[in-house]
Amino acid sequence: MSKEGTFKRRIFPVLFMLIVTLVFISITTIIYTLSKDTIASNEALRSRESILYAAGIPVPGSGQETDRIYGERVEEVTDDKGNIQYYRVKGENSGDVKNIVIITRGPGLWGEITAAIGYDVSGKTISGIEIIDQNETPGLGGRIGENWFKEQFRGKHSPLSLVGEQAAAGPNEIQAITGASYSSKAIQEIVNRASTEAQGIIK
Amino acid sequence: MAQSKVKRVFLEDLGSGNPVFAQVLGICSTLAVTNVLKNTVVMCAGLVFTTALSNLTVSAMRNVMPGRIRMMVETLIIASYVIIVDIVLRAYLPDVSRQLGPYVGLIITNCIIMGRAEAFALNNPPGLSFIDGIASGLGYSYVLMAIAVLRELLGSGTIWGYRVLWESWTNWSIMVMAPGAFFMLAIFIWIVKGSSKREKK
Repeated sequence: MSKEGTFKRRIFPVLFMLIVTLVFISITTIIYTLSKDTIASNEALRSRESILYAAGIPVPGSGQETDRIYGERVEEVTDDKGNIQYYRVKGENSGDVKNIVIITRGPGLWGEITAAIGYDVSGKTISGIEIIDQNETPGLGGRIGENWFKEQFRGKHSPLSLVGEQAAAGPNEIQAITGASYSSKAIQEIVNRASTEAQGIIK
Repeated sequence: MAQSKVKRVFLEDLGSGNPVFAQVLGICSTLAVTNVLKNTVVMCAGLVFTTALSNLTVSAMRNVMPGRIRMMVETLIIASYVIIVDIVLRAYLPDVSRQLGPYVGLIITNCIIMGRAEAFALNNPPGLSFIDGIASGLGYSYVLMAIAVLRELLGSGTIWGYRVLWESWTNWSIMVMAPGAFFMLAIFIWIVKGSSKREKK
């Protein structure tokens, strides 16, 4: 076998792959770097909106307005290591804490579900929940993000139980989503677990 | 001459060579994302973009690319374009990105893109390959959108999230679930194949 044959058969493909990889990784890295800040600010805004929604505060349409209300009314409570443990939300005019909000995660059908769950100061009554991030099936489990589903949680106490979508929900019952029993159950478990956490915080 | 070739490639991808109902490719995403029209449209736009540009790139490299590693190179090219789509959605359309979740990443595994790169772009010049990518993407898109409109309408009573059917309409839950997509796709293929057979007679 000649030297040229070895180069063409063995070395050139490796070099070619290496160069193509470098070129494409550079392109994606540049695009990522350019949009990194926009993505981060989208996510931060999303989590602020979720905290307000979970505390029962109407979410304004503009990002600036959200930041203003958040700055005035929400206080982040950190643990010894500086990680945010939960959020204290003040009333509209008074400085008193009206709600606490916990951001919590739990397993869904395809991936992790991240939710903000708000309580009144007793830590027992739910003031609202918002799904921050989820990978459930669009149109089925993905409906956990729909308003009718989230709104049901307001004013209820854990432990919550599930009933069918068409059934009338009792005082501490939640209508599950038809065809998405696993996702509904996942939310039920996340909320019930968060309630235990909330009561630990209140103590 | 050249123009008639472009036209032929374009029409073939939309009709007799349609990726979904003639070649039966990309069925996985046809089943997965057609229960809500909005997600379908974004998915289709992502697919048209990826197929067109990966076809263009593969075709431009076809004469220097060593044959033994071509599939690795193609996968890399396709994956890069899909990551770009994902980043752009996350930065500029965060709501849609959140709803589509993992499906954007799954464009990488759509057989149509790899299929067109292998079957067309490796043997044709870049310009024509680009056209073929767009046409294949559109051929995929209109089938998916037709299915999505019917599934969302019957399954949720809405189109594009707006209520279209009357309030007392009972949603056909099966339409939102995967089996509904199998039924709709099968009926679609049945109608198209049936009518094209009749034409030939």
